[in-house]
Amino acid sequence: MAVAHRLPTPSDASYLAGRGLRGWLATVDHKRIAVLYGATALVFLLVGGVEALLMRLQLARPDNTFLPAGLYNALFTMHGTTMIFLVVMPLELGLFANFAVPLLIGARDVAFPRLNALSYWLFLAGALLLHASFFFGGAPDAGWFGYANLTERLYSPGPPLDFWVVGLLVLGTSTLMSGINFAVTIVNLRAPGMTFMRMPIFVWTILVTAVLILLAFPPLTVGLVLLFMDRFLGTRFYAATMGASPVLWQHLFWLFGHPEVYIMALPAFGIVSEVVPVFSRKPLYGYPMMAYSTALIGFLSYGVWGHHMFAVGMGPAAESAFAITSMLIAIPTGIKIFTWIATLWGGELRFSTAFLFALGLILEFTIGGLSGIMHAAVPIDLQQTDSYFVVAHLHYVLFGGAMFGILAALFYWWPKITGTLLDERLGKLQFWLTIVGFNGTFFPMHILGAEGMPRRIYRYAPGLGWDVWNLVATVSAFVLALSFAVLLVNLWRTCRRRPPAPADPWDGRTLEWWTSSPPPEWNFTRIPRVRVRDPFWELKSGERRTATTAAQRPALEPEPPEAIHAPAPSIWPLVAAAGLLVAGIGVLTRLAVSVLGLGSLLLAVLALGFEHRRFGERDQEPAAVAGVDSRKLGLWAFVGSESVFFASLISTYLVYKGHDLSGPSAAQVLEIPLTSFSTFVLLMSSLLMVLALAALERGAVRASRAWLLGTAALGLVFLGGQAYEFTHFYHEGVALQTNLFSQTFYTLVGFHGLHVAVGVLWLLALVVASFAGRLGPERHLAVELAGIYWHFVDIVWIVIFTLVYLLEGVAGT
Amino acid sequence: MSTTERTHPGPVTYVIVAALLAGLTAAEITAFYVHALRPVLVPVLLLLSAAKFTLVVLFYMHLAFDRWAYGAVFAFQLLIAIAVVLSLGALFAAFWALP
Repeated sequence: MAVAHRLPTPSDASYLAGRGLRGWLATVDHKRIAVLYGATALVFLLVGGVEALLMRLQLARPDNTFLPAGLYNALFTMHGTTMIFLVVMPLELGLFANFAVPLLIGARDVAFPRLNALSYWLFLAGALLLHASFFFGGAPDAGWFGYANLTERLYSPGPPLDFWVVGLLVLGTSTLMSGINFAVTIVNLRAPGMTFMRMPIFVWTILVTAVLILLAFPPLTVGLVLLFMDRFLGTRFYAATMGASPVLWQHLFWLFGHPEVYIMALPAFGIVSEVVPVFSRKPLYGYPMMAYSTALIGFLSYGVWGHHMFAVGMGPAAESAFAITSMLIAIPTGIKIFTWIATLWGGELRFSTAFLFALGLILEFTIGGLSGIMHAAVPIDLQQTDSYFVVAHLHYVLFGGAMFGILAALFYWWPKITGTLLDERLGKLQFWLTIVGFNGTFFPMHILGAEGMPRRIYRYAPGLGWDVWNLVATVSAFVLALSFAVLLVNLWRTCRRRPPAPADPWDGRTLEWWTSSPPPEWNFTRIPRVRVRDPFWELKSGERRTATTAAQRPALEPEPPEAIHAPAPSIWPLVAAAGLLVAGIGVLTRLAVSVLGLGSLLLAVLALGFEHRRFGERDQEPAAVAGVDSRKLGLWAFVGSESVFFASLISTYLVYKGHDLSGPSAAQVLEIPLTSFSTFVLLMSSLLMVLALAALERGAVRASRAWLLGTAALGLVFLGGQAYEFTHFYHEGVALQTNLFSQTFYTLVGFHGLHVAVGVLWLLALVVASFAGRLGPERHLAVELAGIYWHFVDIVWIVIFTLVYLLEGVAGT
Repeated sequence: MSTTERTHPGPVTYVIVAALLAGLTAAEITAFYVHALRPVLVPVLLLLSAAKFTLVVLFYMHLAFDRWAYGAVFAFQLLIAIAVVLSLGALFAAFWALP
């Protein structure tokens, strides 16, 4: 639990050294957490890879009986889920962004180190939950995008799909935490002088990715929650028999699903944008265009989800709109490709393994992008939907676009991560095997799709013209597997022989190469002062030639700080995630177990909330480049994301409004006078909340405590009113499962009530802290943060009161 | 170092805002029961709701006084949230209308 309050010395060990197993379990160091992500994702890469090989063996020849149909379904479901959630995202964000972003921006860690640790352990818990179903009746088998109503209990009985749902919910929570952490880190912890337009492009891509995570995951969460309710509580959110539509799932899923493609692709684009200039010995051509195109891709990616649903038949207007936005997104993507090519042009190219994989991405992703544009055209898309052409396209995008970037990053940053160099000869062998294996596996799928082979079939008859290309794909898949075997050999040899890497093995351009390989725990003893783009390159070239004046040259801060403050290790993120894992398994198997898990989770969250006081850490953080408080910014990012969550719930309510097949309707049961009173109570609770803050700011601790208690009390009155309303409805015959109105009403209003309940608990925790003498005027921010959350709950209710109660009442008269 | 937001308003401002919120809520409920307003009730209710929303966000959540970065983060996501509601509403309206 030591906190480093001392000056570092040159003999300080790297972040990898010492502290044993407990050091790893309790680490909050972004670099160690990155290594944990990397190691875990590597294991799941092998799992997902074996799943793919088994599928390819089954399809190697017609009428094959190697695998039964059910197992094949489970394999393609778990292969997709594993590769997306447990391999590509954790490698790009968990490993490379976690490791590199603080170094690239000249920071000592991420904004919220404990949250970072919690993200990792939740990721592991989610991954284990996903795979726990193997011990409870098999694997989920409804496909990685789990289309309704295949996922309903009737068609997917048993617990496997339940584990899939709960596992994805936990993984989504972990990812959301990472998104907030990255966004705040990049906005707030950049080194002095590192403006947005001096940030490395990889950092730009992670910032946009983080924003996409905040916006894209809430619809998935809502979709999964509704599915969970269908499976456990008897609702029918996706069943046409109730007047609902399975298309709702498709919208909620693809609202997440298409931004998710760019959540996986953008970091890889960022990696290429770092690797190409270094190995071309040129600055990145058209930096502003690259930055703007990244932002534009992020923005547009949120408006193209409908092209996954052309086969649904959304109507000509909607299909035309989605066709146009899907074509538009090719423009910023094309800008990136031309920018990379322009950077290569005239450069002093050094064909290292990292560079080769970056070139591979440019080539393979371009092929995937071109087939993607075809999908933007509705008539062509209708021919290709559910055929192997789509399988080819998505692998050229996700393997060609993401995995090539991951492999480039692995060879590029491995020396910095480990202080050792990977073998370049083995790396190049791996590259060529990857090129041959990848194209041999996936290019024939274009032909198979064009010839009419549907995806997700486990067997096909001979004589359809598919035999040869399937055999080619299967043989090539094993070549691809061989390329990963070469990688494993390379990793193993390097870990055994440990050829030392210098601090700057590639003649790099960015700040991570300025510190040692591997870096010390605090990254930089003296924080860099950035005055140009590519600061480390400018520093070196300034030393070699005098074109850069001393005033323009990047430098380190003049004097090292008296002490470097490193956050103390904490075991509580691990305990919290373990609690959630137990709770998740308990919910799906035995409720008593879930109580135990939730108890551990609550204990760990409370400990996390208060332990920084025990270590003597400061409440007020050091000056940040953006001049904003990281915790406040993080909370605003969170409530913004929550607004998308509630928007998805409100949308569900509104799109089903008036489609009930049976009564009663909303207008028949809603009681405006009672709800008006509740609304007034909640609004006045917001007044008490700000009075609590004002009192604390002027030093009136007791008055502040009284206002906080009053706020919590009004919150409880509101919840009491809601409990009365629900009970009353139930006695009137309006149960959760009664009709579409009751399902959507209880869910929307119930989730709001849950948020109020969390707010009340938060307020009571502050009251306890106040009684314990830990909530003085210097900690007014703690009350302000709780207030922002409380007022957010208030504004959500303002919207619900109008849309659900008043307008519903109008409609009913 | 603490951040450099402008000073938050005092209790008097908070109470005035609370009075406005109470008044707007009363106006909503009154409008709901006045039959003469039925033809324009939907825009009226939406406007009153938006006014309450804005008051809470600006004064109680302090976006009128804090750094613009907080407001920008929230406003961007709020716009996306509104876009989600509008676009899903429009898409389903077209979808339900299909033969």
